[in-house]
Amino acid sequence: MNRSLAIIAALAALIVIAVLPLWMPPFYTRVVQLFFFSAALATAWNILGGYTGYWSFGHTVFIGIGAFASAHLVTHLGPFGSGPWSMVVPVLLSGLICGLFAAILAYPILRLRGIYFAIAMLGVGQVVGELVTNISWFQGGVGVFLAAPVPQGMPPEQFFYYLFAGLLILCLAVSFWVRHSRFGYALLAIREDEDTAMMLGVATERYKIAAFVMSAVLVGLLGAVYGYTVGYFTTSSVFRLDFSLNMIVFCLIGGIGTLFGPVIGTAVMLLLTQVLLSGFLDIHLLITGVIVVAIILIMPGGILGALRPKRRASASKAEPAAKVQS
Amino acid sequence: MSKTILSGRAVTKKFRGLTAIEDVEFDIPEGAIYGLIGPNGAGKSTLFNLITGYYALTSGEIRFFDRDLASLPTYRRNQAGIARAFQISKPFPALTVRENVRVGAMFGKPERTNFDIVTDEALSIAGITELADRTAEGLTVGALRKLEIARAVATRPKLLLADEPCAGLNPTETEEMVQCLRNVRERGTTVWLVEHDMRAVTSICDRIIVIDAGRKIAEGTPREVVNNPKVIAAYLGTPVEDGN
Repeated sequence: MNRSLAIIAALAALIVIAVLPLWMPPFYTRVVQLFFFSAALATAWNILGGYTGYWSFGHTVFIGIGAFASAHLVTHLGPFGSGPWSMVVPVLLSGLICGLFAAILAYPILRLRGIYFAIAMLGVGQVVGELVTNISWFQGGVGVFLAAPVPQGMPPEQFFYYLFAGLLILCLAVSFWVRHSRFGYALLAIREDEDTAMMLGVATERYKIAAFVMSAVLVGLLGAVYGYTVGYFTTSSVFRLDFSLNMIVFCLIGGIGTLFGPVIGTAVMLLLTQVLLSGFLDIHLLITGVIVVAIILIMPGGILGALRPKRRASASKAEPAAKVQS
Repeated sequence: MSKTILSGRAVTKKFRGLTAIEDVEFDIPEGAIYGLIGPNGAGKSTLFNLITGYYALTSGEIRFFDRDLASLPTYRRNQAGIARAFQISKPFPALTVRENVRVGAMFGKPERTNFDIVTDEALSIAGITELADRTAEGLTVGALRKLEIARAVATRPKLLLADEPCAGLNPTETEEMVQCLRNVRERGTTVWLVEHDMRAVTSICDRIIVIDAGRKIAEGTPREVVNNPKVIAAYLGTPVEDGN
C-alpha cells in the first residue's frame, strides 16, 4: 500500500518534471535547473556528511576538478563524437578522475575526525584551486572554454534542466540505496561512534573511503555538467566556497542524514533567495542569514526532523540512582 | 575439561614506564562463565583491551582457538568470534535499539544471513524486545547495559567479554543481567566478565581469575577464591558477602 503510493508519487513527480519546462518561462526553468543542480550537490554531500558524519567544508574541489577535467579532456583529446552525446565520455571520465582523486586523498585525510576533517577539506579546496590557477597548464587563471552541445532547436536552459534533473534522480537513487543497505548501516554506525563500530566488526576505514569516493564521483559529474552550462570558466567560478557552504546549509535546513532533507532544504532556500527575495537584492543576504539562523534554532533536526513524530525516548522515567550493594 | 577457547601466555603490557599487565596467564575453556576480579587499576580493562586488539601487546601471546591474535585488527577479531560489551555503554545514540543491534548482526560475521532473525533473537536474549523502537539516547543505565549485551550477542560471538555488566544496577536489574548472561551461555557462548558485584560473580561464574597490580594472584572456583588469603588481602578486605 505504502509502497505503491510511493511509486505513484514518484511517477507523478517524473511527469511534472518532464512537462514543466514546456510552458514555464525561461527564467523559472533556469531557477528550477539551479534547484536540481544544488539539490543533487547537497544529496551527494549528505552521503558523506549526513550518513557518515564527516562534514566536508571543501566539496567544491570536486566541482572544480570535474569542470576543469571536462574542459581539458575536450580540448586535448576531444571531440568525443558530436551532438549532446559527445558530453557522455568527458563527463563520466571527470567523475572518475574525481573518484580517483578522492581515493588518494582519503588515505591521509580520513584519519582526521570531526572538525579536523572539516578544516582539512576546506584547505584542500583552497589549495587545489590555487594550484589550478598557478600551474599554467591548467589555465585556471585565464579560464577555459567548454562549449555545450545543445541539441538543435532546444533552448539551452531546457537542455540543462533535463540533464540536472537526471543527475538529481541519480544522486537520490544512490542515496536511497545507501540508506537502506548494509553499507548504509556501516556509515551510520561510523557517524554515531566510530570506535564502537570497529568493535562490532565494521571495517570502518574501507566504508569511509567508499562513502568519500561515492560522494566525490557524484559531485564530479555535477561539476562537469556545470562546466558545460557556463561555457567559459576560471578557477574562481568553479572552486567556490559558497558551493561548499550551500551543500552544508541546505542539508542542515532540510534535515541532515535523511534522504529527502537535502532536496527540501534546497527548495526552501532557493525559493527564498531566488524568488521571494529577488526584489530586495541589496538586503537579501541579510534576510537569508537571519532565516537560516532562525530555522536552525527552531528546528535543530531540520525541516524533516521537526515534521517526524518524535520517537519516544525513555528519558521521562527517572533513572534509578546507582546503588552500591551491601 | 573441554577445549580451550582463549589462552594467554606471559601476557604483558607496558605504557611507557608503567607496567599495566605483567606475565598474566589464562586458559578459558569453551562454554564456561569465567570471572575476572581485582581492585580498581589492577588492569582488568587493559587485559580486555589487549584481547580485543584496542591495545597491542608489549610481549607475550594471546591465542583464540589456537590462533595467534597478534596480527588481527580489531574488527577481524570480532568477526573471528570475540565480542565485547562495554562497562560505559557506547550506544549509537541517534539509532533505535533495533538498529543498534542490527549493526552487530550485519557486521559481526562476514557471511550474510537473515539479519532480522539474528537481531530479534539478540533482543530477546537480552530482554529488550519491547524497547526495540526507541532511540538509544535516553535509555536507563540498566537498559543500556542490556543493549550492550544484545549488540554483542548479535555478532554471534564464541566468546563474550563483558566489562562490569552489573555496575550501577539495582538488585532487580542485577538479577536480570545475571539471567541474561546465563541465556548467553545457554546459546553456547563462552562468557568472561569483569565484575565488582561479588554476589553476582560468585553466583554465575564457574571459575574466577584474580589480578592485582597487573599480576595474576589467584584462580579457582568462587569458593576457593573468596577464601584465598591473598585475594582477601588485595581485594575483598573482609571475607565473603561484601562487594565494597
